[in-house]
Amino acid sequence: MREVPEVVAHLFTWDARSQSFRAPGQAYREVSELLRGHLVGYKDEAAGFQKLELVFGREVTPYSHQVEGLNAWKRANRQGVVVLPTGAGKTLVAQLAMRDTPRSTLICVPTLDLLQQWYSGLLSAFPDANIGLLGGGSHDETPVLVSTYDSAAIHAEELASKYGLIIFDEAHHLPSDFTRVIAEMSLAPYRLGLTATPKRGDGREVDLNTLIGPVVYEKRPEELKGTTLADYKEVHILVKLSPSEQLKYDELIALRNRFLFKMSIQLGSLDGWQAFIKSSGTPEGRKAMIAHREAKSLAYGTEGKLRVLEELLANHPGERTLIFTDDNATVYRVSREFLIPSITHQTPTKERHAVLEKFRSGAYQALVTSRVLNEGVDVPEASVAVILSGTATEREQIQRLGRILRKAEGKKATLYEVVTQGTREERVSQQRKGQWKPAGQTGPVWESINAPD
Amino acid sequence: MLPTELLMFKVKAGLVEPRRLKPTPSHLTLVSSLVNVFESHLNEKRFQLEEDFRALEVGRSDYRVVRGLAHLLANDNAEFETGGLLEPNLVREKVFELAQGAPHSRTRTKRVLEEASKRLQLDSPEEALDLLYADLNDQQRLVSFDPPDPVALLQRFDLAQAQGMLYRAYSLTITAHRNEPARYKQLLKYTKLFGLMVTVEGDADIGFTLTMDGPTSLFSGTTRYGLALAKFLPALLHVTKWDLSAALKPRKDLSWVDPNDDEWSFQLTSEDGYVSHYKEPKDHDSALESGFAERFGKLDTPWTLEREVDLVPVPGGVIIPDFRLVHEDGRNVLVEIVGYWRPDYLKKKFDLLRKSGRTDVIVAVSERLNLEKAGVKTTDFGGRVIFFKGVLNPKTVLELAESVGKTSD
Repeated sequence: MREVPEVVAHLFTWDARSQSFRAPGQAYREVSELLRGHLVGYKDEAAGFQKLELVFGREVTPYSHQVEGLNAWKRANRQGVVVLPTGAGKTLVAQLAMRDTPRSTLICVPTLDLLQQWYSGLLSAFPDANIGLLGGGSHDETPVLVSTYDSAAIHAEELASKYGLIIFDEAHHLPSDFTRVIAEMSLAPYRLGLTATPKRGDGREVDLNTLIGPVVYEKRPEELKGTTLADYKEVHILVKLSPSEQLKYDELIALRNRFLFKMSIQLGSLDGWQAFIKSSGTPEGRKAMIAHREAKSLAYGTEGKLRVLEELLANHPGERTLIFTDDNATVYRVSREFLIPSITHQTPTKERHAVLEKFRSGAYQALVTSRVLNEGVDVPEASVAVILSGTATEREQIQRLGRILRKAEGKKATLYEVVTQGTREERVSQQRKGQWKPAGQTGPVWESINAPD
Repeated sequence: MLPTELLMFKVKAGLVEPRRLKPTPSHLTLVSSLVNVFESHLNEKRFQLEEDFRALEVGRSDYRVVRGLAHLLANDNAEFETGGLLEPNLVREKVFELAQGAPHSRTRTKRVLEEASKRLQLDSPEEALDLLYADLNDQQRLVSFDPPDPVALLQRFDLAQAQGMLYRAYSLTITAHRNEPARYKQLLKYTKLFGLMVTVEGDADIGFTLTMDGPTSLFSGTTRYGLALAKFLPALLHVTKWDLSAALKPRKDLSWVDPNDDEWSFQLTSEDGYVSHYKEPKDHDSALESGFAERFGKLDTPWTLEREVDLVPVPGGVIIPDFRLVHEDGRNVLVEIVGYWRPDYLKKKFDLLRKSGRTDVIVAVSERLNLEKAGVKTTDFGGRVIFFKGVLNPKTVLELAESVGKTSD
């Protein structure tokens, strides 16, 4: 390209490095519409979209909110975000949009679970379509491609020209620094975002306006509650160290301290810690080290949370129960101690399928997972969810609620949130960040179990 | 390289300073304790090593040093494998199947494991529990460990920290001086390999600036190419006489960072003592050039042949000559030898040279193809082209140099 026609000149920038004019892929639609509008002749060597005829392989009867969402998006020139609660059938809105926008389509999803779920959903919706995967070990090049955000961002350059329609599932992921290039580099004239809540911690949800389009349709969980979605109740449980645990804690610390005193080790310094570690090779030292670790774990309240979990499991026999934890270590601890099947990002794809399938069919009564199932993964008819210490940002709350909101015949879903009473756990974490000040503290001083920095 | 959470740096007046480890007795002791952890846990599980690392790092404000060194050792010097006689996923399937039928509880767990170990023909319930997640990363066994030179490990750590600074770089500028062409060629090869774009400006007197970024940097500062820039750094370390300045996006996620910072800078020079682990480029990149240098050495002439050349910036690119001829009286000429070529390559090269407006560059082209047929007009490039068959005679080059050489200031 030597010169840029005047009507689109404002969209291009001279690039001295390559001695050419350059515009971001995202400008494609505006450039071609302006050129056509002003009857400027041009040759399009940028777009590589394919035509795509999709025919549903089964009868579909969308709910009214799904049809409304689809129509609102079409009226907005097929650029915009549809906000529906998890469980309200966002996937069908996307499939209808694909059928009605017959161009090669890229679908971006945040997790490997969703990748598999979209893939099998599309295969059954459009049996004749050529559907592929990007991410999780696959690198297909198909006119319908389901990709993780990460893989799509890594391969943004090569994907940019190939897809006429892009669907962003859980679209609030898109505006992050690393993934937004998927939308910026893409030529796709048609863009659909789907999310239960566009809110982000950093306020960048406004960027969705330019990356995809405005919110064109929105329904809150309350508006669909009892109709499409199951009714639910929330129960919050605060865990404290029990008197016996407090006693146990004191005993453990005393045991450790006796050993340290005997060995003249002071934990306040680096040398002290190294001496403690060295001495943990002896049986007595080992015992002291184990006591130290147990005390630490007690202070974090995990034991208390597991005690509550045990009670909840006993109170809901035979009910399908989903357990969420903050970290993988706790997932595996719950799985090992209760023999509850688990899913984390480390679970092999095949196995994660099998586990989800068994949970779905009722062969498994409970499932423990970290954040991997937080979003969108289709786990039907769980009637009990237990969250072991979640961080209470609004987004996560709604996403997690969504897990058990699936309509189940005659069932009232229950969501338990089990949180350790702030003080001690917080103190440890604040202390690590160097923010903790014991000043003004009332009651007994909690002994520092982390040596000072 | 290291993951972001293990990066250590200070920020002073917008300048980032990555952590460096001097080979002090205390650091060398730490390395030997870490090496000792690996060596004493051979055939044990990763989490057992991790426990010792955690123990080593407790009480240290610089626990990232311990984790960072352990990370490098685990990645570069150790090998982990999944153990056990039974596939863990089969064990899981059986155990979880047996665990159904009544609410999960810890009192039931032991009985279920006993039953499972019988059915799976294992020795004990403990073995069943041990195998349950034997395929997890932290359950893998350390099967071999090759201890590194302690000082080299500290150098790898320093370099990895410096590379980490570039993860958030959105542009990088190198000021470089006259240097060996092989070094520059390798440098440009790496920029291409990592998908970077480079703009070269300046001349030998003021120094060359090489600005590196990527295609979309044109529209807005992006950290998309930061990882590529980080991978590029070890290649740069093989070049001498440069200094580097990178513009970084501040880490707003860290509590100690001034929220008003809107740009950080990372600066480095070739004299800062970082050591590359990339292979060093060879001095002469082809037999053609080394043969020419050898024959030139036998001549008695006031011209000397230098391996350190000027870069020739051209619009949209750069030309790296192979030699620089310097006369006793100060005149100097750049020489490029084109051995193997395709017609379009040669055409582009002459185009670029013409655009550069440089008159002090001699191009010697091996005449292996019919040039006329290839569409190359030799008159396009004044008289500054030499065509040769087989061996390039240094005398021919010198004759031309006498007529085109310019006086250096």
